[in-house]
Amino acid sequence: MRAAYARLWVRIKGSNREPEWLLAELVIPVITLSAYVFLYKMVKAPPEYAGFVIIGGTMMAFWSNVLWNMSAQFYWEKETGTLEAYLVAPISRMAILLGMALGGFVNTTLRAIAVFVAGILIFQVPMAVNEPFTALLIFFLTIGALYALGMMFASLFLLYGREAWHTANLLQEPVQFLSGTYYPTTSQVVPFMVQLLSSLIPLTFGLDGIRKVAILGQGINQVWPNVIALTIFTLILLPLAKKALDFMENLGKKEGRLTLRWQ
Amino acid sequence: MAIGTILRAIKQAVWLGWKVETNWADPIVFAIYYLVRPVAGLLIVGFIFLVGSVVTGTVDPGLFTYLFIGNSFFIYIIQIMMTMTMLIHEDRSHYEVLKHIYLAPGSLSWYIVGRALNGVMNASISLLLTLGLGTAIFQYGLGIHIPVDWLGTNWGVLSLTLLLGIICFMGMGFILCGINIMTSKVQFMLTEYVSGILYLFGGVVFLPSILPSWGQHISNALPVTYFLNMVRFSLLHQAGFDVQMNLLYLTLTMIATVLLGFVVFRIAMFKARRDGLIDKKEEY
Repeated sequence: MRAAYARLWVRIKGSNREPEWLLAELVIPVITLSAYVFLYKMVKAPPEYAGFVIIGGTMMAFWSNVLWNMSAQFYWEKETGTLEAYLVAPISRMAILLGMALGGFVNTTLRAIAVFVAGILIFQVPMAVNEPFTALLIFFLTIGALYALGMMFASLFLLYGREAWHTANLLQEPVQFLSGTYYPTTSQVVPFMVQLLSSLIPLTFGLDGIRKVAILGQGINQVWPNVIALTIFTLILLPLAKKALDFMENLGKKEGRLTLRWQ
Repeated sequence: MAIGTILRAIKQAVWLGWKVETNWADPIVFAIYYLVRPVAGLLIVGFIFLVGSVVTGTVDPGLFTYLFIGNSFFIYIIQIMMTMTMLIHEDRSHYEVLKHIYLAPGSLSWYIVGRALNGVMNASISLLLTLGLGTAIFQYGLGIHIPVDWLGTNWGVLSLTLLLGIICFMGMGFILCGINIMTSKVQFMLTEYVSGILYLFGGVVFLPSILPSWGQHISNALPVTYFLNMVRFSLLHQAGFDVQMNLLYLTLTMIATVLLGFVVFRIAMFKARRDGLIDKKEEY
């Protein structure tokens, strides 16, 4: 726990000491969201679709955090030479990742709230939250599943250099498309194959559940399948992350790639 | 500087850029990588459009084609901005070679032009793949009529538009290079700010007339608006489209951007040399 706390502290301190980064993390998502909201406006879609975009954009902040500040973090650590320090220290790799996850969660939550509020106010999106605790339950389950997935991806970055970097890049737009970040994947125009693929991503269930509870005014009676799916994802992904991390670390040691820079 | 030296510098920079961009993967993986992201981007806006249209009961193929072309050709802006913004950071801080390039007989500016041209080359590959796969998915897979006669493309207008647009976006890239050389750790956000603003106000996926009036003024001042208008005209031949006026605006905004890029980059290089920023180290 001490190791996790230490990494959490560094993450919070590091992410908040650059005011221009803070500003960018608040402004850039709003710019992107705005384009999609205007696209819905162009086709005269009902106002709740703007709400779908804003919730999707808010949750994307967490996905980006998982990808770049957690999964890819081992790539940065390797390039800066601090990965060796982690590996020789008497601490668990999972504790390091837990610290990163918690620190990243705190930082991202603050930014996500700001983006969400700005989006709701700018575009006057109607909210209909009848069961706030259900909304929070789905939110926390989604975060748990996403960070577990991030821990699993982190193992890849222990070994690979630019390949992993490009993989992280590759997991942005395709995941946004498949998870229905800006539109409901349950719509009739979304092909069955896309819906099938989207069900492999925990974010899909999280987004669907939060939208139903926060925008459409539904409750636990309608979103319990989302709760079960997200719980299953977390229970599967966490032990997998541990196994993947151990496997990749051993492989990296055998092949001498843990400290290899400029790959 | 002799023309031969300039051309050699550009050629070597294009070759280097190609190697840096591609040698992490085998050609098939690389091709998939350059296909997946832009196609996924197109699918996102395409499905937003379709989901929203189905709710209202009307799917307008004209509006769909507007966003299809706009989003596909926006690849040039993203790729040039990304290449030119990241290159100073990578060459100076990551690979620590900027000082050597600066000292070499070929000018740094021509090296940057070469790297940007490599970005243009990659963007062109992405564009062709995206147009092909996008048409296959939306027109043949989902039955959305895309009224583009690819064989009837006005190649003269398209070539001129691409030439002017690419020079203009490289001008923007030089502004970003200048900012990057004087700062550190802002390369990611710079790309996202610039491409985000151009995406929102440049008439990429929705008509600028949807924007509030102040947003329409911004849209009218951006070269990307005229670039995409001209690209759409070269493919769709819309009646009543004022080619000459759009071409004039594109040319004027291109000249203004290139001049600004030149001035900003020159000032930045002067300050960088004075303040010892050319070999500045960051976290690596």
